Amino acid sequence: MNEIDEQLREIIPRLRRFAVSLTRNPSSADDLVQSSLERALSSWADKRPEGDLRAWLFSILYRQFLDAHRRTRRYARMLEFFTGRDDAQPSVERTVIAQSTLQAFDQLTTEQRALLLWVSVEGLSYKEVAEILDVPTGTVMSRLSRARQALRQLSDGEITSPSLRILK
Amino acid sequence: MISMPPSERDLHAYVDHQLDDADRRLVKTYLENNPEAAAQVRAWQQDAQQLRAALSGALQQPVNQELDPALIRQRLKHQSHRHLASAAVLLIAVSVGGLSGWQAREMTLPGAPPPMTDAMQAYRLIAQQGILPADYKVNADGDMQGWLDRYFTRANRLPDLSGAGFKPVSGRLLSTEQGPAAMVVYEDQGGHKISFYVRPPGPKNYLLPRGSRSDGELQAEYWSGSGYNYAMVSPSDTPAAQMLKQTAQF
Repeated sequence: MNEIDEQLREIIPRLRRFAVSLTRNPSSADDLVQSSLERALSSWADKRPEGDLRAWLFSILYRQFLDAHRRTRRYARMLEFFTGRDDAQPSVERTVIAQSTLQAFDQLTTEQRALLLWVSVEGLSYKEVAEILDVPTGTVMSRLSRARQALRQLSDGEITSPSLRILK
Repeated sequence: MISMPPSERDLHAYVDHQLDDADRRLVKTYLENNPEAAAQVRAWQQDAQQLRAALSGALQQPVNQELDPALIRQRLKHQSHRHLASAAVLLIAVSVGGLSGWQAREMTLPGAPPPMTDAMQAYRLIAQQGILPADYKVNADGDMQGWLDRYFTRANRLPDLSGAGFKPVSGRLLSTEQGPAAMVVYEDQGGHKISFYVRPPGPKNYLLPRGSRSDGELQAEYWSGSGYNYAMVSPSDTPAAQMLKQTAQF
């Protein structure tokens, strides 16, 4: 038990970093980490696969984020229905033109941010990423290629992402 | 073994150190003779490096004790004990008798929140912390009542607080489990804020008698009418709060 906790303590800073890159907000990031750890610890006995503990925890956290994100989006759509406008994100965010890598990174889609963090920053193998996303390795490679291209273009300030122009 | 020239995927795999040694050497030689591909690869490597540098700070956050595995383990155990305990209470109670069983169920479930908890929460989010932006702001010819009427046609009129120097300045629509709610913020010259909150009656459809409640630093005056519940929220111990408390009828 203690040995597992030691391993977890080492990984927690990485989980928190990943959560911040998804949520862009430190306090909701920690909530996400907490609920992911709860899930991991309560399903430890029957779900924990052989192999990299880090990859397994990343995948739990990613799923939880996507689920929560879907719920918030539904809520935002409901608000939009009542008020006739979209409050989900401040409009300033939409118009920022990327200048630094981090700003560019923040403009990528959720999956692209996760991919680049797993591969470029955490050094997970394509196979591990394929298992997290539940897609073939080839698909991981082509999505990674698109993510890199997007990051490159955004940090060059060549384009603002198309989604930036959709709404007022 | 990869084929030459390397595909774009092979170049990515090279950047990510995912090629075996033989393939890695092949790509390396290829890049030495192909400046264009080499520049491309270098750009990707630089981006990855910058990303690692930019995100390295996020690893240095102070430790959050709430996230400690031992603590989480303890909490989980505690929770499952509690669930088991509630289940046991239910079982005994149900076997003792239908009516008392039902009462035990009520006792083990958390009670309903006190009235107008959401009105106070909305005041904190909107008037105090400014987390939620206003949907509607009154300008020179603005008509707050008109905005409110778009969503709550039958509701009571907005209270007139101009006697105390307060005027409606902005409004925001919110959602509750029972349907849309709205909050209108009043402000006086000194920037003091009072909010008017209107919502459909709660889960059991309770209408509220005229009442007053304080929670932390806030005070709410509430009442019902025309099928809705209403609250006026302001910070406690202010002249505005006194004024609201003494108003019998809004």
